Amino acid sequence: MMNKTKNYQYIFLFFTYLVVVLSVLLTFKDFGIHIEEKFHRMNGLYWLNYISQIFNFDKLSLIAEIKMGEIQDYTLSSITDYKKYGVIFDLPLAFIEIVFNIEKIEKVYYIKHFLSFLIFLISSFFFYQLLIQRFNNFFVSLSGTILFITSPRIFGDSFFYKDVLFLSFFNIALYYLLKVSNNLNLKHIIFFSIFSAIAFNLRIFGVFLPITFFLILIFKSLKDKNIYNYLKFYFLYLFILICLIIFFSPYLWSSPLTNFLDIFVSLKRDLIDPDVRILFNNQFINNRNVPETYLLTWVSISTPITTLLLFSLGYFFYFQRFIKRFFNIKEKQIFFDLWRGQNEQKDFIIFFLLTSFYLTLLIFNSPFYNGWRLVYFLNIFIIYFTVYQINNFIILYRKNYLKKKIVLLFLLVSIIHNIVCLIVYHPYQSYYFSELINDNKKNSFEGDYYGIAGKHFFLKLSSDYKQKKIKVAVASHTPLHRSLEGISYNLRKNFEVVGQEYKNADFIYKNNIHEVNSNLNKKYNIPSNFVKIYQLNVNGVIIYEIFKNVK
Amino acid sequence: MKIFFYKSILVFVLSVLTIHFSFGLITKEIKIEYMNLISKDNLEHIKNKIRKELKNANKKEVLINSADAELLNNFLIKLKSELEKADNK
Repeated sequence: MMNKTKNYQYIFLFFTYLVVVLSVLLTFKDFGIHIEEKFHRMNGLYWLNYISQIFNFDKLSLIAEIKMGEIQDYTLSSITDYKKYGVIFDLPLAFIEIVFNIEKIEKVYYIKHFLSFLIFLISSFFFYQLLIQRFNNFFVSLSGTILFITSPRIFGDSFFYKDVLFLSFFNIALYYLLKVSNNLNLKHIIFFSIFSAIAFNLRIFGVFLPITFFLILIFKSLKDKNIYNYLKFYFLYLFILICLIIFFSPYLWSSPLTNFLDIFVSLKRDLIDPDVRILFNNQFINNRNVPETYLLTWVSISTPITTLLLFSLGYFFYFQRFIKRFFNIKEKQIFFDLWRGQNEQKDFIIFFLLTSFYLTLLIFNSPFYNGWRLVYFLNIFIIYFTVYQINNFIILYRKNYLKKKIVLLFLLVSIIHNIVCLIVYHPYQSYYFSELINDNKKNSFEGDYYGIAGKHFFLKLSSDYKQKKIKVAVASHTPLHRSLEGISYNLRKNFEVVGQEYKNADFIYKNNIHEVNSNLNKKYNIPSNFVKIYQLNVNGVIIYEIFKNVK
Repeated sequence: MKIFFYKSILVFVLSVLTIHFSFGLITKEIKIEYMNLISKDNLEHIKNKIRKELKNANKKEVLINSADAELLNNFLIKLKSELEKADNK
């Protein structure tokens, strides 16, 4: 009977994933090209060339070199400036591009988008496993997974192999961290090391994984006095992790220690210009000194209200329990500790990670730009505590049929709300705002940083104006010419992007991404001989505007 | 040992938070004000403002009233004579 139920559950899960994959297959080409695609392609080809030379794959090296030569962009800095960036995704994709002889550049990008989403989807299955192993409730776990996939901003960015790619691998690493904390064995240690190394390869935040693992083992050793066994496993983990970090990063091969330290040094050095301004709540603030409320504000206004509400309740419920446990700790009794049983241990790890991440970002005054995209991985914890609270309600109302059903209905409404948002915002889910702020306020925060609407803009001009050569100026801090790679060559050659030379332009493209204080600096002011002819408005968010030269 | 360890962590975390939310925040506020003051945009804005004021002043027929003009004139004459005396010495 149990097995039969489990089979049905897996069939249902399979069909849920099938629907997601089919929907994405039908729509993923609607997404535009983001401004950093060129950099990632270059990064992949550079390291492919490097590895090919080491292993004497002459033909591969030659093709990679030719392709690198074809990438021309006056706004792209030299490869030596950014070759320290992780290659875990870029390098295999460069290999696929060459091996499958993909010539059309827009195709290369679409394949990358789809694979990036696929990785996100695979990671969501690990998230499902994490939930089902913790809450042991199929409906709640599946709902949590759907909320995880359909969080609008995360879904939108899942195609762009940047922050959500890190989220995906961090999520898988977290799954193994929970596994390894419960059951310390070689298999789990190896998997945990692999995904920790990949997460570290993509973002420095991955360093929290070994630190958290160490602390968990210390906490556990205080309980069962098994410190030598734990340390043995920890050093094994560290050894594999270090080997894999070097293996996954060709930059470290020539001189592991020096180059490893150089990554940290260059992190500070290569940060965006210190004088960069970002639009936050109608003010142009310095991105190195964001207000204390920056992260909280962004999470609040760009997370669906229902999720936000459940998360807040869940987090504070757990916090209350944690405080209670903390002040009841007894020296010799195992039962009186920070957690009771394996499930509470998982809650503690999630709570610990979320709180320490948040406090670290706050205390170290982390620079941010364009919302909370750098820390999108926090969504894993947000959804976890959302599900945690649903589970609390179900336990609380287990004897009250009606209240229990209301809770489940609320969960269903949250999912439907997310899906409706995905449809309404498509393909600009990355710029989703919740109902917490009104339409006017939505535009007082940064918008299309990745310039993904550039494709829509060029296609619109192509269909509306049939003239041979169209000159376009940009009244924003967006390298718009990079979006041209999202359209076919025949259309692409009709456009010339002239930067801020408005007097030479037929049209001006404008979004609300400015690196200067536009109240003081007038470089992005639209000249008087241009009139607004179009604006793309998605649920109150002005994605971009077109101005036409009428003189 | 266990309780000592947990209490040490608690004290450490609370100390860090106290420092951050007192001294740290004040420093940050001052830094933000300073950064805003010396930012490229602000300096450019101040320069433009001075240019604008000078342009406006040039358009006026009379820049200062006659009493002020007399006062300044006397002051400059006095200054000039004292400078000449110092030069002759």
